[in-house]
Amino acid sequence: MEFKRGFTRRFPPLKVLTDEQVQAIHRGTLRVLWTTGVLIEHERALKLFEQNGCKVDYDNYRVRIPPDLVEECLRKAPSSFPAPARDPSRTLMLGGNTLCLAVAPGHKTVDDHTWEPREATRKENYDAVRILDALPTVHFFSPYTPYFGFQGVPSCMAMLESLAARIRNSGKFQCVGFSNDSEMFSIEMAKSVGIEILGTCAWAPPLALYRDAVESTFRTVEAGFCLRVVGGQLMGGTSPASIAGAIVTGNAEVISGLVLAQLIRPGTRVLVKDFTAGMNMNTGAPAFGGIEIAVHNTACSQMFQHYGIPIDQTTAYPNSKSPDYQSAMEKAFRVMSAGLSGGNTMLFHGSVHGELTHHPLQAILDDDMAGMMGRYMEGVDVSTDALALDLIEKVGPVPGHFMSAKHTREWWKKEQYVPNTSDRMTYPEWMTSGKKTCIDYARQRMEDLISTHKPIPVTDSQEAEIERVLEKARAHYLKNGLITEDEMREYRASMQSPNYPYE
Amino acid sequence: MALNAYTRRFPALEILNEEQLEQIHQGMLRVLWTTGVHMEHRGALETLERNGCVVDYDDWRVRFPPGLVEECIRRCPSSFQVKTRDPSRSVTLGGNGLHVLPFPGHHTIDLDTYEPRVPTRKEFYDGVKVLDALPSVHGLWSYTPYFGFEGVPPSMCLLESMAGKIRNSGKFLTEGYSKGSEEFCIRMAQAVDAELCVPCLLSPPLTYYGDAIGAALHGADAGFPVRISEGAVYGGTAPASIAGALVSACANLVAPVVLLQVHKPGTRIFLHDFTFPQNMTTGAPGFGNIAIGLHAAAFNQIFRRYGIPIGNGAAVPASKRIDFQSGYERAINATIFALSGANFILMHGGVAAELTHHPLQAILDDDICGMLGRFLEGIDVSEDSLAVDLIEEVGPVPGHFLNKKHTRQWWKHEQNHPHAADKLTYPEWEKVGRKGCMDYAKERLEDILTNYAPPPLTASQEEEIERILEEARAYYKKEGLITSDEMAVYRQGMRSSRYPYE
Repeated sequence: MEFKRGFTRRFPPLKVLTDEQVQAIHRGTLRVLWTTGVLIEHERALKLFEQNGCKVDYDNYRVRIPPDLVEECLRKAPSSFPAPARDPSRTLMLGGNTLCLAVAPGHKTVDDHTWEPREATRKENYDAVRILDALPTVHFFSPYTPYFGFQGVPSCMAMLESLAARIRNSGKFQCVGFSNDSEMFSIEMAKSVGIEILGTCAWAPPLALYRDAVESTFRTVEAGFCLRVVGGQLMGGTSPASIAGAIVTGNAEVISGLVLAQLIRPGTRVLVKDFTAGMNMNTGAPAFGGIEIAVHNTACSQMFQHYGIPIDQTTAYPNSKSPDYQSAMEKAFRVMSAGLSGGNTMLFHGSVHGELTHHPLQAILDDDMAGMMGRYMEGVDVSTDALALDLIEKVGPVPGHFMSAKHTREWWKKEQYVPNTSDRMTYPEWMTSGKKTCIDYARQRMEDLISTHKPIPVTDSQEAEIERVLEKARAHYLKNGLITEDEMREYRASMQSPNYPYE
Repeated sequence: MALNAYTRRFPALEILNEEQLEQIHQGMLRVLWTTGVHMEHRGALETLERNGCVVDYDDWRVRFPPGLVEECIRRCPSSFQVKTRDPSRSVTLGGNGLHVLPFPGHHTIDLDTYEPRVPTRKEFYDGVKVLDALPSVHGLWSYTPYFGFEGVPPSMCLLESMAGKIRNSGKFLTEGYSKGSEEFCIRMAQAVDAELCVPCLLSPPLTYYGDAIGAALHGADAGFPVRISEGAVYGGTAPASIAGALVSACANLVAPVVLLQVHKPGTRIFLHDFTFPQNMTTGAPGFGNIAIGLHAAAFNQIFRRYGIPIGNGAAVPASKRIDFQSGYERAINATIFALSGANFILMHGGVAAELTHHPLQAILDDDICGMLGRFLEGIDVSEDSLAVDLIEEVGPVPGHFLNKKHTRQWWKHEQNHPHAADKLTYPEWEKVGRKGCMDYAKERLEDILTNYAPPPLTASQEEEIERILEEARAYYKKEGLITSDEMAVYRQGMRSSRYPYE
């Protein structure tokens, strides 16, 4: 499969809610926003809300947003927008009937035999980015990907080193997170190399937005970049356990983030993220692979199609700890629900277990599952040639067959998805060729991509700018005490390789 | 967990528009009238000729007039009940109900080496027991769990399979036919006051041999439902284009629908889309391919419009092992089948296409079905589930929902609770010895084999089943389909004190 600018769904989306249920959820959302309100820990934001007709309780940081303002801001946000990439051939349009898949991050890498997590090396981080750049179904990169950091990097620099690696080793569109004002440097890095990035505003459910998230929102929107507003609820913990109730709180959160973005700069491009998981109420463990997430996502897709706002679905994290049968079924349900229900983006590739581990081998396996989904969304061609009535007439009953028909040669590859890492042999071939599995094929592909794929290079001046901004950030965090002298020594030591920054 | 069906509570996925549906319908009518279908059954040809079809007896070719085709489609009931030995397991096929059934394997499989081998009698009966115990198995398909077992001559495989399923399960049954075996199967079903769904299998393209038509007519005459299965391979026995394969499938399946509805109007019929693409570079069947899901969703949409119950599958993989590939190939196609309105799908237990089956796989599939079933239930949007008052009470952080009565009442209802999935946190997983879904499935398998008892037959029912088997053994011996040596081995396999279960 060649890279496409997202998968296009060519049939109507699956709908799990009636129009009346959509209205009931919308009314519930408006009531929560006006009656309960949201906590926004940021003076400037509170003033902006107040100037635009919201009721503000400064002592409690509570904002109550009137229904007309909510609906006006929903109308102001575009239903579809460009997401420009460093490599123009990788630029996307987010929204509409398109699904774009991105990388699902892991805190650590993992041994691909024992499934023990460990911190990634710099080289592993850069190589993983290169593999993800090569995979045609990875349409863009999400924050913290592939790993939350790598060896030698102080935690406050993890996000910036992550972004630098992704700019250096990929031409694809980039999304960034925020932590301790890191978005200031992310924005500066992006501008200095002439690219756009998708910034983030992440909620602390229920219904709370802390200072750093609001700062990230202001900086992203004021930079003229697009913004991703992320809910993050656990059903039964930080939202009601009922799916409908969880949609109401999730909606209230992401929509009030959207309102803020529209108040800062009307027309701001916003992608909302339904980042929901169930909770195993017996143990407190997050139920990453639960089907209730897919049900929740499907309904949220429908809600945001109603609003005309692009929606990102909950990251496809499995509960399983290795790429096994359970992991596959958990991921499959999620990507299917996203693709069929009209989700516009989903973080999908590479997560091995929850947010804990990521591995490029897993991303390669996921590339085939994504390819299947992409083919599915294309639907069925019902043209005269595809219907093949004259051919059916010509072939007739047995002993007629279609094996030797020119039509077969022309159509079969178009209709099927031909995977890269699946075992597609007959049983006897499989037995005599070493019983190879999809993981064996994925390992071969991983080695092949590592030795052959060359991302579109950054120019010398872009490289100089990336390193300049990194140095500026290092100095900033050292001065602020977020990097100690010892950490800085270790960090510098990790940059001594002749192949820096790639090893 | 629903015992008898899952219910889809929202509109089915539709991937064709009205114009495309009409084009496929017109294409089907044209093929049935212009190309026609080969039906090697004199009585059927005569019946069809009497009802307005154009018949070429030399060529066994029937051409169906469009008006008759559309009339016969309308005669099919859109939904109907099928009687089972255990009345609590009776099923109603059609509408927005989804039933899941197992998929057979020619052999069982060693789960360490993935080498296939012929199962023993005990493994066969235990396989049926496991399928009877699993709540997401709503019925038992032909040849399941295996195509036969050790010691049984080929001509008796279907009948021994039928007997094994009747003895160890009270669920809905369909069984194959070979050399007139359907006569004995029908009698076995009647002996336990159950209905049997008799199949009529196509030999694509556009061909039905005499035994297929004979089995369908026998089933209809016995007053039983008939299932018609289409098993074309796109690029081999159907066009490689999905739209062409759909036209071909519709014509293939509707031809016997017409025959049955003119033979016995109102016959209960359900249709089975068992088509798949072919890897045209190797000739290997494309099990697990996404083209199956595209064909199936369109097929379901067409036959939901006609109002005839339909099913798909199997959702079985190209992978030979129980692994990541197997998991997603199965889950993706099963999800598409279910969302696009299938009334039944075949899935449980098939490890590598039709070659191998294992009860451990069926246990893993029970969890996929549980997830699918929960998805199909959709979302409850009521005052209570919207919980706006509760959201107001809890407010923003530091509010939370952990200690609320509403949470206790709702969380289990909203989530699905898999049996074999690893649901632990990473540290817990380390502590319990890194158990994966295969380990949990093995534990559940042991538990079922030790503790589950299928609903027993009465003594007179058991006697009648054995009497019919003996009659069949004598019949096939006389017909020369069982040699004396085969019969000696067969009898040897019946000497256990625990016969027929071991």
